[in-house]
Amino acid sequence: MSDPSAQPPVSPEQTGADDYTGENIQVLKGLEAVRKRPGMYIGDTDDGTGLHHMVYEVVDNSVDEALAGFCRHIEVRIHYDNSITVIDDGRGMPTDMHPTEHRPTPEVIMTVLHAGGKFDKKSYKVSGGLHGVGVSAVNALSEWLKLEIRRGGKVYYQEYRRGTPHTGLIEMGVSTRSGTTVSFKPDEQIFSNLVYSYDTLAQRMRELAYLNPGLRIVLVDEREGEKRSEFYSEGGIASFVEDLNAGKTVIHTPPIVLSGSMPCPEGQEGEILVEVAIQWNDGYSENVFCFTNNIRNKDGGAHLTGFRQALTRTLNAYGNANHLLKDAKQGLSGADLQEGLTAVVSVKHPDPKFSNQTKDRLVSSEVTGIVNSIVGDRLATWLEEHPREARAILNKGLLAARAREAARRAREIVQRKGALDSLALPGKLADCQERDPALCELFIVEGDSAGGSAKQGRDRRVQAILPLKGKILNVEKARIDKMLSSQEIVTLITALGCGIGDQKDLSKLRYHRIIIMTDADVDGSHIRTLLLTFLFRQYRELLDGSLPRHYVYIAQPPLFKVKKGKHEEYLKNEQALEEYLLRAACQEAVLEVPGRPPVSGAELMDLARLASRYSRVIGAIDKKADARIVDAAVKAGALDKAHLAERAALDEALRRIEESLRAHQDDFSALHAVIQPDDEHGGFRAICPARLGGARKETIIDFALLDSPEFEELSRLWHRLGQYGQGPYVLVEGTSRLQLKQLDLIGAHLDAIGRKGLQIQRYKGLGEMTAEQLWETTMDPARRTLLEVHADDLNEAERIFSMLMGEAVEPRREFIDQHALSVRNLDI
Amino acid sequence: MQPRCPICGAPPSAEAFPFCSSRCRLIDLGNWLGERYVVPGDSTIDPSRVPMDEDGGDSPQDGS
Repeated sequence: MSDPSAQPPVSPEQTGADDYTGENIQVLKGLEAVRKRPGMYIGDTDDGTGLHHMVYEVVDNSVDEALAGFCRHIEVRIHYDNSITVIDDGRGMPTDMHPTEHRPTPEVIMTVLHAGGKFDKKSYKVSGGLHGVGVSAVNALSEWLKLEIRRGGKVYYQEYRRGTPHTGLIEMGVSTRSGTTVSFKPDEQIFSNLVYSYDTLAQRMRELAYLNPGLRIVLVDEREGEKRSEFYSEGGIASFVEDLNAGKTVIHTPPIVLSGSMPCPEGQEGEILVEVAIQWNDGYSENVFCFTNNIRNKDGGAHLTGFRQALTRTLNAYGNANHLLKDAKQGLSGADLQEGLTAVVSVKHPDPKFSNQTKDRLVSSEVTGIVNSIVGDRLATWLEEHPREARAILNKGLLAARAREAARRAREIVQRKGALDSLALPGKLADCQERDPALCELFIVEGDSAGGSAKQGRDRRVQAILPLKGKILNVEKARIDKMLSSQEIVTLITALGCGIGDQKDLSKLRYHRIIIMTDADVDGSHIRTLLLTFLFRQYRELLDGSLPRHYVYIAQPPLFKVKKGKHEEYLKNEQALEEYLLRAACQEAVLEVPGRPPVSGAELMDLARLASRYSRVIGAIDKKADARIVDAAVKAGALDKAHLAERAALDEALRRIEESLRAHQDDFSALHAVIQPDDEHGGFRAICPARLGGARKETIIDFALLDSPEFEELSRLWHRLGQYGQGPYVLVEGTSRLQLKQLDLIGAHLDAIGRKGLQIQRYKGLGEMTAEQLWETTMDPARRTLLEVHADDLNEAERIFSMLMGEAVEPRREFIDQHALSVRNLDI
Repeated sequence: MQPRCPICGAPPSAEAFPFCSSRCRLIDLGNWLGERYVVPGDSTIDPSRVPMDEDGGDSPQDGS
């Protein structure tokens, strides 16, 4: 081209005719190839990928200028017709004649595939890669493209149609500014969808701003109204990672930023720069953005491989060296560390290779080792300097490892054993005939023999039986630990039929009553604890009240069978037995009380209960004081806190106590009480020292004693018991007459009377009952009692389960004894 | 006392209670299936038979 400025705009026909040279044939052939197979060069032409890539290619050229340090501002405008203009303030494309092509350099750049790489090498240290192909491809795939260059005080212009120069490079005017402006309209012959997505472009421009701190990118959408976004970052990729993690809980802060460079391998010029920002959040997904020379490689590639290798190797090495990975025998895998990982990996490479023209994947294999080495080295240092953060990151990885292992195991076991397959019910399950879950009951029965009885005794229409055994584990010789075997868990999951974990669907639950039936011994309570904990943790909805009803129950098998003549009765616990014996005795016995009509029947039962209770409380107070003195103090009557206010009143009370003691206790002579002022309570107290013939232990009659709940209850009890006088009494049963000085032992005597002629059988386990007995006592809906399990108070339930499952044996025993769970007694 | 996720100790979430996440619930399931949950049994010397010191009854057991 001799004088571009002199050439007027020309028609394509003319251009074609005028410039028809051998070289052009080659050029046209190249661009023809692009138009024939655009996907190879620009990406998919139907789904929008290629369309947007057109913009990226042009912008990437401008960013290259920014990388080289000449461009600070890029503007991208989407016009009303989805044509695009990209404006930068770089140096402007070189406008001189190309030394070998004998045409203006811009024309070579815009029309020759691979041209960019050739001439760029010297002027750009690194660039987005094979840009010559990219921008000429954009040209080839545009209905029209206009190029405006400000350089050296002049403004140049050239126009293309479908890749072919429509004009020469025209010198249009003068300017004090520099830069390149490219406008183009994607060709509708190529792209099926011509509409740009603002958000997609914005996303890419945002990335570019992060990757090039200090570069300002403005995106303007002129199609409807005018939308405008400005992207600018000073923090670079660290800010990028922070913004990606916005709204998430991060494991450490700020992000880890690592960078370094290494010379290219032999035979290549220049060096490879690596910059990485890393921050873990508490989520599960991985979010890693990889870039080569600012180009997003959405399929990763060599740098991502190297980055992952380095993470895994370095974190494992650190964890092992610091004994943080004891729980993970295999160490942490890459997948474990990818959970919750947000990172940006950016490399700058003088001559990168990609799997395809859209640069989705970096294939320059030398990059793997370089990234691995730089990240590994810098990360090791960072970890040493940040032990707290390092530990948090490793813990996160450990959790992920356990979760993956658990998930794998759960999936494997559950699927292998068909736990999710409702057609493959476990062989141990004796299912019921009814198919409506609302009517069906599942009895989880401890032990095979009990399971056998339950299977025989059940109502097979609606009751299913699943026998389960606790597995005994002799961890140490001194202790026998219990657990549910994996097989038992799977069997249970299968029987419930509603899946588990992510595949849980409670609408498929096969039984609306799940009844745990275990022996009333320690083993039984262990199995029950395990089952309830499992249900609470994995099927919480069944017992937390969040569904319209509760589903889990505890059967109440009897502990005793009593038989008198032909009459049989089952009793569920000690208390019921006591009650039964008392009732039986009171039908026979009569208590003769001086000065009153004889006491019998319900009144005698009541009296006996009061008396037993009184004895029990007196027993409890014996820890604090001599029970005999307290007993006398209560019985002396009207000794209350008011008596402590005056010395005379207290003195009088003590006298009466002493009198009572002498009358009722053979070995008692005197109290030897000393009265002292009690300034704290504005009165007096009496101290009865331990002395032969007096108190057995020091007993202090003071405000604290009289104010104690024991004393108050004793007073209340005596208020009622006292009306039967102070004896002596005679307990008459048939022909026997038993003299009683006091009422305190009446309970024991009645108990003995109640046992007469009675056969009492204590069941040690469900297995001792016949099928009929089990049915009658525990399973028959008409006669049984069930405890409904509630974990409505979740916090409380979790606290209890944590404790039950914990190491401390003693509190667990207590809780089991007191029916740890909030259970309601229901007759169902 | 604030409850904590039985697996990782984080505060529980409403959906996954008593766990912090479905992830930790899954770990729990893995523990069940891996037979890692054991109710510690009684020692062969039954502690309930050993007379307790009078003041020892109220001492905290959890030692936390």
